[in-house]
Amino acid sequence: MTTTNYDARVLKAPHPVPGAPDNWKRFFSFNTDAKVIGIQYIVTALFFLLVGGLLAMIMRGELITPPADLVDPTVYNGLYTMHGTVMLFLFLFPILNGLNNLLIPTMIGAPDMAFPKLNAAAFWLVPVFAVVLMGSFFVPGGPASSGWWSYPPVSIQNPLGHFFNGEMLWITAVALSGVSSIFGAINFVTTIIRMRAPGMGYFRMPIYVWTAWAAQTLQLLGLPALTGGAIMLLFDLSFGTTFFRPEGGGDPVLFQHFFWFYSHPAVYVMVLPVFGIFSELFPVYARKPLFGYKFVAIASFGITILALIVWVHHMFYTGTPMWMRNVFMLTTMLIAVPTGVKVFAWIATLWRGRLRLDTPMLFCLGGLFNFIFAGITGVMLATVPIDVHVGNTYFVVSHFHYIIFNTIAFGIFAAIYHWFPKFTGRMYYEGLGKIHFALTFIGATLNWLPLHWAGLLGMPRRVASYDPEFAIWNVIASIGAFMLGVASIPFILNMVSSWARGPKAPPNPWRAIGLEWLLPSPPPAENFEDDIPTVINEPYGYGLGKPLVEDEEYYIRRAQEA
Amino acid sequence: MTTANSELPLNHTPGHVKHDGHNLTGFIIFLCSESIIFLAFFTGYAVLKITAPEWLPTGVDGLEVTMPLINTVVLVSSSFVAYFAERYLHKGNLPGFRIVWLLTMLMGSYFVYGQYVEWSGLAFGLGSGVFGGTFYLLTGFHGLHVITGIILMGLMLARSFRPGNYSKGDMGVTSVSLFWHFVDVIWIILFILIYVWQ
Amino acid sequence: MTPVTPKQPETPKQPGPNLKAIAIISIAVGIDIFLSVLIAQWSYSWLPIQASSAAPYVDDLFSLETGIGAFIFLGCTGVMAWVVLFNRASKYDERDGEPIEGNIKLEITWTILPLLVVFAIGIYSINVNQTLQTLGPKQKYQLGTDPTAGLPADPTSSVGPIDVISRQWSWEFVYPDGVRSSELHLPVGERVNFRLISEDVLHSFYVPAFRLKQDIIPGSVISYSLTPIREGRYRLRDAMFSGAYFSNNQTDVIVESSESYSDWLNRMEREPLHPGLDPGREIYERRLAKGNKGWATVPPAPAPMVNDPGDPTAPHEA
Repeated sequence: MTTTNYDARVLKAPHPVPGAPDNWKRFFSFNTDAKVIGIQYIVTALFFLLVGGLLAMIMRGELITPPADLVDPTVYNGLYTMHGTVMLFLFLFPILNGLNNLLIPTMIGAPDMAFPKLNAAAFWLVPVFAVVLMGSFFVPGGPASSGWWSYPPVSIQNPLGHFFNGEMLWITAVALSGVSSIFGAINFVTTIIRMRAPGMGYFRMPIYVWTAWAAQTLQLLGLPALTGGAIMLLFDLSFGTTFFRPEGGGDPVLFQHFFWFYSHPAVYVMVLPVFGIFSELFPVYARKPLFGYKFVAIASFGITILALIVWVHHMFYTGTPMWMRNVFMLTTMLIAVPTGVKVFAWIATLWRGRLRLDTPMLFCLGGLFNFIFAGITGVMLATVPIDVHVGNTYFVVSHFHYIIFNTIAFGIFAAIYHWFPKFTGRMYYEGLGKIHFALTFIGATLNWLPLHWAGLLGMPRRVASYDPEFAIWNVIASIGAFMLGVASIPFILNMVSSWARGPKAPPNPWRAIGLEWLLPSPPPAENFEDDIPTVINEPYGYGLGKPLVEDEEYYIRRAQEA
Repeated sequence: MTTANSELPLNHTPGHVKHDGHNLTGFIIFLCSESIIFLAFFTGYAVLKITAPEWLPTGVDGLEVTMPLINTVVLVSSSFVAYFAERYLHKGNLPGFRIVWLLTMLMGSYFVYGQYVEWSGLAFGLGSGVFGGTFYLLTGFHGLHVITGIILMGLMLARSFRPGNYSKGDMGVTSVSLFWHFVDVIWIILFILIYVWQ
Repeated sequence: MTPVTPKQPETPKQPGPNLKAIAIISIAVGIDIFLSVLIAQWSYSWLPIQASSAAPYVDDLFSLETGIGAFIFLGCTGVMAWVVLFNRASKYDERDGEPIEGNIKLEITWTILPLLVVFAIGIYSINVNQTLQTLGPKQKYQLGTDPTAGLPADPTSSVGPIDVISRQWSWEFVYPDGVRSSELHLPVGERVNFRLISEDVLHSFYVPAFRLKQDIIPGSVISYSLTPIREGRYRLRDAMFSGAYFSNNQTDVIVESSESYSDWLNRMEREPLHPGLDPGREIYERRLAKGNKGWATVPPAPAPMVNDPGDPTAPHEA
């Protein structure tokens, strides 16, 4: 039986109950409660989803016609660079950290995270580097404009010669983001390893905790490589070194290795928690145990290990020798195996279930549908001869948007709807949720499915103008994109009005099995406080009639009476 | 807020359990991560050295090894000194701890001074091709870590003057000591890469 | 008394194989295979004209993966569709589904089978790489010296080496006899060797009709070879982001008969040098005329001086 260890400092801090309307000010303070920090991350991230989305709307406006007639090409380059950077560093990573903050302590029965002050510091770094990044729009010369990869030498050309230029601010913001992520990762991993409820051995943890652990491990092992590369890039840009400049014997391809050693695992950092979300939600909405729980759990770390040895697949035609391309092609294709294990497990979970198509389930089904497609184009991209043709074209752009938006964002929306009642204490409006899903699914499909064919025909990525034969694909895509912009309206309306005056939510509106559902909605400051349940069975016991914890009736009653 | 244990059934774990802190776990995880950034720099150094058409800048024949070797001996010895300081602390011998800990700090400071002396005497700068760039980047980044270690040690030393500060545990001294050993190991690898492999 | 053997309990009849399920699954798999083969065939039309010897190999590999991918996609989503249609709980039905926690045999199967499939695709792809044999050696050089000194010639090529010089934002092709051109003329059916050179930042030599792409790295020269197999005019695009007017950094590849090619070379030798295709300059000048509005950019490199500035208005096939 694991003894639970708490940091005594956590229990001393005063925290009002989340969700109570007169407590909104706590979201603007240095608050160390993980549930408050989680909401801070999520709301901040959703704001930047809109910012990144606005940039995308302008980009798709430009791309609806072949010539670069909407904005100057230099402006377009800044827009697409900032679109990618904002979406990754100000939307995706913060929102996943927000979900981690809400879900990890409650799912494992801990009162808070292992290092609450570090947790708050990690969050508050986000607005700081957001200001740095957004500020770069206003410096002379404009923001960084060489893509979110910032490949040298073009990214360090610094045409105006100023010290404070867009690229320099970009590197600073990304470095600060890295610091914030490392703080978070240390916290999440320590919490998972050290603060689980009694009886919760590793193979009784919910899959979300497994995947979050796997993802945060990748952050710890991968981020420093990016930081190293970024420091060297900054020195080349601002202090006259030549690590990546051929003039001094430097090698531009070396930067690519540093960059992708982190950035490939980064995509698994983003997708693993969403795999966790699917693994959590399918059992609830199909009323069936997760099929093959142990395989799915172990596959998470299988993905972690493989994720660290595939990065050169982003460099198949950039100047790597053929033997290296062959090796990394094989390792990359291997990742399809643990991923396939999860996909088949989800489908088997659905099989013979009793499905309820609430909004979270719709987003999960849509996300899984899209992910299968995206996984297949991924194997195509792993194949060197095919990648040599379609690399750096819209085929790649379509593949990764199918993953990042059509799978990951779908999963995030599913999670937000599913856990909204738990952490706000209110039910959301199901009708608006379904509208949001429909618009999002159709819009996302229209936006990225056609562009695969543009890529196959040879349309490069990152272009502000293109040859007329690609026009039809781009028109359809732009329509889809504008639809996605519109889809944000029912979502925002739903979130705001439901939180303000939605019906009060019971502790377990979905009749789900999990420690977080044994807490009141919203949970009190230290979750189970003095009374942590002992876990006696594996998770996802739908239809098995076995209680999750000892004295389950007591905890259910306690949550309802709170 | 505290509920007496006897009122709860045996399967309900009360909240205020004595705990040994998660700081050391967290710090070890942090160090694993930090080692990757050095690994990245080392790899970059090796790749650039092997593939550069012209490695050494014009007029530079190589690096002098004697002074850095002395610095290395001082730094590595300081790790052993730190270990002895920790032993004093665990035995509760505060004055002994303070003196030996201070000695570690002084040895570390000597290393930093030695690095500064070496830097001032060098014929190449940060912009002297990849050789200059990687040299100053690696030694500079490491030097920053040494300075950070000394500051952290100073903090531990200052806290030792607070009455009863270390009565319930080492409150960070183990972590700082670990950090110091880490900085040491990094230097050994660095020394081999830059000074020995010439 | 004779001992009476107690009557053995009747062993319950083992249920026979569920014939109905097997039939449905077989039909579904059959339909899946049929559709996947159709889609695999159709996938050839999604790609541009096959203009190099590499193209058929790439397209065949793509078709195979499309077929396998379609099979998996239709299979998985077909099951999902079935479940969504026939396994829904009715509105007030709060019962749980069947508590199936796993099936070790199935889980092992769906781990091993994909492993074998990806391994097979991997081996096939390595063979294709071997067959294509496009990538030659890459060599760093000291800036300011001749990039091509010391780079071994490609013994398998009969044409070239043609120097491909990429800049922000123009292409220049230098033929062995000194002819310089903004468009790349090649004789059909002969293996040609290029030396890929960049004078400033990363660029990429990409011809979709050839299915070939190789990034060009400043400070290195890369030897690259290919064989065009079809006459025509094809786009060559810079596929690695290279700055402000990178979208315009395109030109054409003209594959023609040997006679036509030699004829062109002879004619061009007699042409004087004039400024070649320089798409970035026009846009940049317009920007300067309007007050240099926009975000920072380096000025375009001077236009290459060439014998043949090409015809940017001529339509391309792919």
